[in-house]
Amino acid sequence: MANNKTSFSIVLVMLFGIGLFFIGTDGFTAFTAETARVNKLLEDQPEFPPVTFQDSKERQYSIDEFKGNYVLITFFYSACTTVCIDLEMNMSELYDKIPKKYIGNGIDFLSISFDPKRDDPAKLDLYKNMFNSDGETWRMARIPDQQELDGLLDEFGVIVIPDDYGNYAHNSAFYLVNPNGKLSEVMDFRHVDAAAETILAILDSEADPS
Amino acid sequence: MKQSKYGLALLLFLAIPIVAHLLESIMIMHMHMQMPLLVISGFLMAPFFQRQFPKFFASWNENGIPGILLFTVIMVYWMIPRTMDDALTELPVEVFKFISLPFLAGIPLRDSWRKISNNSQRVTFIVFTILFYIMGFLYIKVPVQLCNNYLLIDQITLGWGYLTLAICFTTYLVYIAFIDSPKPTEVD
Repeated sequence: MANNKTSFSIVLVMLFGIGLFFIGTDGFTAFTAETARVNKLLEDQPEFPPVTFQDSKERQYSIDEFKGNYVLITFFYSACTTVCIDLEMNMSELYDKIPKKYIGNGIDFLSISFDPKRDDPAKLDLYKNMFNSDGETWRMARIPDQQELDGLLDEFGVIVIPDDYGNYAHNSAFYLVNPNGKLSEVMDFRHVDAAAETILAILDSEADPS
Repeated sequence: MKQSKYGLALLLFLAIPIVAHLLESIMIMHMHMQMPLLVISGFLMAPFFQRQFPKFFASWNENGIPGILLFTVIMVYWMIPRTMDDALTELPVEVFKFISLPFLAGIPLRDSWRKISNNSQRVTFIVFTILFYIMGFLYIKVPVQLCNNYLLIDQITLGWGYLTLAICFTTYLVYIAFIDSPKPTEVD
């Protein structure tokens, strides 16, 4: 039979293991870095950094353009043939699910390209038509300054990895920025209904605070 | 002992930033080359520690069970998709990788393997075989990217790497079960 010290060290190893897994997964809540990222974003509520957009109509402005409204944001690039199309299709569906009274008056939609070299205003204009975006209450824009873009991606935890074929792999989500310019929700872009419900609940409570 | 020096040299070599970066740039090399090599470096260094602290190993790891448990805990920990990402983005986690794999997995494995019974050895093999099958199917079948720092295609490659390992382990298990009964283990 094992001596006392060996039995004790079995217990010790078990406790160490539980502790290690607890810390490594933020208390068994995040087994992938993506979950951990979203959890952390919701906790930190980072402020939208000062960047200059250039949209499909060649207008330039900062996030203050949308001040007073919530802004639903996605990150995409137009040359993408996979997930961005799903993402923007779902954004279009989400747009249709939000009651008309809130569109432009409570919430705006913004798709930000992280491929400013290829996505010039002309390209953005073409791309927006594919998803029936009106270019006003749902705008598509690029951030021409690479440094500003990188800062934003970093702040919002968007990881973009170029692959060997001129494409990018990236994590996707619906980001909701509140009227004060702070990130308040990160939603799964594959669950449009759930996202619409969340947004509607927020907009309803803003419109009728009682 | 020469072996221990080779182990230390291997660990230091793996810790050279360029080497570490190269191995970490491809997912399957990170998981199935760098990490096992780190365990091997500890495995090679073990005799040094066993000679320095014979009493410690004799009394705290008498039957080898704590050691093999510790080895398993550390290995499973590094199989969580999150930890591999964290090692790339957070320095403390990266440092922990270079400490935990050699010293908390490699050394205990060497000290414990001969102490545990044949049945325990087989159980260990079976546990890791099952784990590798699970990880293999997980990485191949899950349609979403589990690791933010690697492409989906890397993930699928890693999945097949796991399955290959699992199949090798299965072959070995079948082999020892039907063809040859292992000799009784010798204890130094």
